[in-house]
Amino acid sequence: MNPSERAFTGAWRLRGLLVRSTLAVIAASLLAGVLAVAYTAYATSQRAHLASQTRLAELLDTMESTLAVACFVKDQTLARELAQGLLDNSDVLAVSISTEDELLTEKHRGPVTGVPGGASLKRLIYSPFDKQKLVGQIVLTPDPKVINARISEEVWFATIQLSWQLGMVTFAVVLMMLLFIVRPIQAMSDRLHRMDPTAGDRLAIPGRHASTEIGQLVVDINALSDRLTGALAAERQLHLQGEVEEKKFHTIFDNAESGLFLMDNQGGVSSWNPAFASLFGIGQQTPDVVLPALNIKQLPWHSPQQMGELLQNALLQNNAVTQDLQVQMPGSGPSWINMVLRSVGDNLLQGVMHDVSHLKESEASARQLAVTDPLTGLANRQGLQDRLHAHVQEYAAAKKGGFALLLVNLDGFRRINEGMGLPAGDAILQATTRRLCACVNSDDTLARLGADNFGIILNQITQGEAVDRIVSRIVQAIRQPYFVDGSPMSLHASIGVALFPGDGFDVPSLLRQAELAMDSAKSAGGDSHVFFDPLLTEAAEQRRHMESDLRSAIRKQEFVLFYQPVIDLAAQRLCGAEALIRWRHPTRGLVMPDSFIPLAEKTGLVVEIGLLMLEVACQQLATWQSQGLDYTLSLNVSGRQIPEGLPPDKLQEVAQRYGISPSKLALELTEGVMLHDIEKSLSWLNAVHELGFKVYLDDFGTGYSSLSYLKLFPVDTLKVDKSFVLDMRDDSNEYTLVGAIISMGRSLGLDIVAEGVERLSHLTALQRMGCHYVQGYYFSRPVPAEEFDAVVARVTALLAAPKE
Amino acid sequence: MRTWRLTLFMALWGLGATVWAEPVVVVNAASAITKLGQDDVVNIFLGRYRRLPTGETAVPIDQPESAALRAEFYRKLVNKEPNEVSAYWSRLLFSGKTSPPLQAVTANDVMVLLMSQPGGIAYMDHSQVDKRFRIVMEFSR
Repeated sequence: MNPSERAFTGAWRLRGLLVRSTLAVIAASLLAGVLAVAYTAYATSQRAHLASQTRLAELLDTMESTLAVACFVKDQTLARELAQGLLDNSDVLAVSISTEDELLTEKHRGPVTGVPGGASLKRLIYSPFDKQKLVGQIVLTPDPKVINARISEEVWFATIQLSWQLGMVTFAVVLMMLLFIVRPIQAMSDRLHRMDPTAGDRLAIPGRHASTEIGQLVVDINALSDRLTGALAAERQLHLQGEVEEKKFHTIFDNAESGLFLMDNQGGVSSWNPAFASLFGIGQQTPDVVLPALNIKQLPWHSPQQMGELLQNALLQNNAVTQDLQVQMPGSGPSWINMVLRSVGDNLLQGVMHDVSHLKESEASARQLAVTDPLTGLANRQGLQDRLHAHVQEYAAAKKGGFALLLVNLDGFRRINEGMGLPAGDAILQATTRRLCACVNSDDTLARLGADNFGIILNQITQGEAVDRIVSRIVQAIRQPYFVDGSPMSLHASIGVALFPGDGFDVPSLLRQAELAMDSAKSAGGDSHVFFDPLLTEAAEQRRHMESDLRSAIRKQEFVLFYQPVIDLAAQRLCGAEALIRWRHPTRGLVMPDSFIPLAEKTGLVVEIGLLMLEVACQQLATWQSQGLDYTLSLNVSGRQIPEGLPPDKLQEVAQRYGISPSKLALELTEGVMLHDIEKSLSWLNAVHELGFKVYLDDFGTGYSSLSYLKLFPVDTLKVDKSFVLDMRDDSNEYTLVGAIISMGRSLGLDIVAEGVERLSHLTALQRMGCHYVQGYYFSRPVPAEEFDAVVARVTALLAAPKE
Repeated sequence: MRTWRLTLFMALWGLGATVWAEPVVVVNAASAITKLGQDDVVNIFLGRYRRLPTGETAVPIDQPESAALRAEFYRKLVNKEPNEVSAYWSRLLFSGKTSPPLQAVTANDVMVLLMSQPGGIAYMDHSQVDKRFRIVMEFSR
C-alpha cells in the first residue's frame, strides 16, 4: 500500500468515524426531538382541551342557576342573553340551550364552518326547585382555533428549545470525538504505519490519555507488539533450529551405512536412503525424481514369504523385530541382509537393514573352524560329537540300521613326536589321515580328536563282520612304513570299536565305550582292535573303585615310605637311602607302586600323594638329623607333579619347616618326565636346583637318552637302571655300557648311582669302574623306617665282611 | 278579656302547629278544579305556565310579603326561603316572559282576589278555608 492510498484510507476512515458518530448523534437527537415534540404536542393538546373544558365548565358553573331558571320557565330571552354572555368568552365557539321539548336559543360566533373539531361540552340543567327534575340542557362548543393556536405555540416553543439543545449536544459530542478519539487514533494510526516493532519502536501514549481507554489501548498494543515480537523471534529461532536439525537428520539419513526406509503395512516403501538404494541397486530417491512404487516384498528375497512373515510380526509387536534374510541379487551371488523392523504407528513401519554377508561368512567359517582340526582338515572332537548326535537322532527317527564308532590310536606316536620333533609327528599324522581316508566310504566320518587319536564313524553298519573288514584294512594301512626325512618308520594302531545301537544309545556312552575298547587294545600291546565288551566297563568300574580307594587311602594316610639304603663306595659306608612309596591296604596288604601309581598319575591324585610323601621324607630326614646321621634321601617325582604339582616354593617351605638342608633331599626324575615338556621341566629343575635340592636322573639308559639334554638339565646324579646292572657280565655289552655310562657321567662331573646291585660281583665290578654309589638287594631291600636301624647295622657288617 | 286572650293564645298555640303548618292550596269553590298536584302548584306559582287543567288561565295569588304563611308555603312547596323566591323572580322580571303571582295586600285581600278572579288560585291556612273555597292540594305531613 503506497502512502497516498494509505492516507486516503486513513482520512476516509477518520471521516467515516466522525461522520458516523455525528450522524448517529444527529439521528438519535432528531428521533429524541421528534418524540419529544410529538409528546409535547400530544400533552399540550390534552392539556389545552382539558383547560378549555375546565374553563367552560367553570363558566357554566357561574351561569347554571340562571340557566336553570331560563329553562324552567323556557324563557328564550333570558336564554339568549345567557348565550350571548357565553360567546363573549373567546373559548366558546357556539352555544345551544334547549328545554326538553324546544330549543330556547342557538348562537354562533362568526359564520358556521362545518362541524366543530373539539368535543362539545354538554350539561344537563335541572329545575331550580327540584334537583331531580330535568328541565333542559346546554351545549357549549369550544373554539378549536383557540385551542390549536395554543397547542402550536407550545409545540413550536418546545421544538425551538429542543433543537437548540440537540445542536449543542451534537456539537459537543463531535468536538469530543474529534479531540479525544479521532485525533489520538489518527496519531496512533500514523505512528503505527511508520512503526517497526522488531526494531523496538513502540506507540507513545497521546497527551492527557494516560488514564483513558485510548491510553490503555496504546499500552495493550505495545504489550501485543512485545508479545508478537517475542513470538516472532522465538519462531525464527525455532525455524533456524529446525532447519539445522533437519539438515543434521538428513545428513545422517543420507550418509548412514545402513539402509533406512519407511513403509506402510502393505510393504509399500515410501522413502529410503542411498544406502538402501545401493543395497538393492535401485534408483536414488530425490525430491525431483519420482520413482515407481516400490514394495518391500518384491525385492529379490530368497524367500519372499519370510519377508512377509517378518512384516506381519513387526505389525503385531510393539518391539522391533529382526531377522537375517537372504537376498539373491541378479548377476551376483547370494548375500545376507539383517533387517530390523519396527512399527512407528499410523500403520507405518521403519526399517533398518545392512549387509551381513561378511558376518555370515565369518560365522560359517568360525563354525567350520570350531569343528575342524586345522592340521589334518578333519573334523575335530566337537565335529565328531556333532555328527554322532546327528546320527543318533537320525537312527532314532528311522528306527533301523546302525553305525560303528571307531577310535584309532597310534602306538608309540608320542615317542616319535618327542624323539623326532613335532614336524615329523605332524607329517605322520597327515599321512595317517590320508591312509584312513582311503579305508572308509565317502559318507563315513573321519575326525582327529587330538594328538594321535582319530575317530571314525562308519555308516550303515549292523554287524561286526563289516567293521572287521574295514578295521583290518585300517590296521594294514597303518602298518605300512612311514617315511620321515627319507627314513622308514613303522607304526601300529590300537583300535576300539563301539556299535550303535548295540552298545549304547547316546553319544557320551558310545564315546566312552569306544575309548574303553581302545584302551583295552592298547593294554593288550597294540596293533590290534577290540570291540567293546561289557567286561571293559567292568574293568573301568574297577578302576573307579580303586580310584575311590586311593582317595580314602590319602585321607586315612595309608601311604608309607620304605627306604632302600644307598652306599658310598668310596667312603665304604651307608650315605643315605631312596624313598619308595608303599600302600598299606587294609585288605590287600602291602601294595607296590606299579599297581596304583599309574592310576594315581592318570587321575592326578599323584600330586596329593607326592606332597604327603614329601612331608614324610622331610620328617625322616629331620629324624636322622636329630640322631646325628648325615644321610641323604632321594624321592621319586612323577611327570604329573611337574611343575605345578610340586612347586619349588612348596619344597623350600617344607624343608624349612622340618629344619633340613635342601642338599639332603634329592628328587628323582626319569628322562621321559624331563623330556615330556622340556621348557617347563627345565625351568622347574633350575628353580629346584637353585634352592639347593639335588636332582637325580632315574632309570638312565632305558629311554632315548640324549647327552645334549643331559648337559642342558641341572642334573647332579645319574641312576643307572637296574636292568643294566643285573645283566652285567664280564663279556656282555651291558658291562661295557655301564662302564661307558659311568665314565661318561664322571666326565660330565656327575655322580653315579648304580641300582640293582644283587651280587658281590656287581659290587666289585662297579667299584672297579669307578661308580660312586650303589643300592640293591645285596645290601637290603627297601624297608620301613622302623627297620632302617637294623639295615644300617647289616650294611656296615657287609661292608666290613663282604660275602657272596 | 285577659282570660280570653290567654285562652285564644292557648288555643292558637295548641293548634298553632297544625294551623301554621298547614297552608293549603285553594281555589274558588265555583271553579271546576277539584284537585291539583304539587308540581302543578309549583309550575303555576313560579311562572312556568299559567294554565289550569280545565283550560282556564291560572291566576296565582300570593299572601302578603310579610306573611309567615307565605314563607311557610314556599318553604313547603319548593323548599325556598322568601328571599330566594324573590331572587328567582328578579331574574325573570328582566325578560318579561312571565310575572310573579298577584300580590295581595292582606290575607283578606287574598280571599277577595280569589273570589273575584276566575282561574284564581291561592293558598291560605287550613283554618281560613270556608265554603267559598275548595282545597285542591294539601301538603303531606
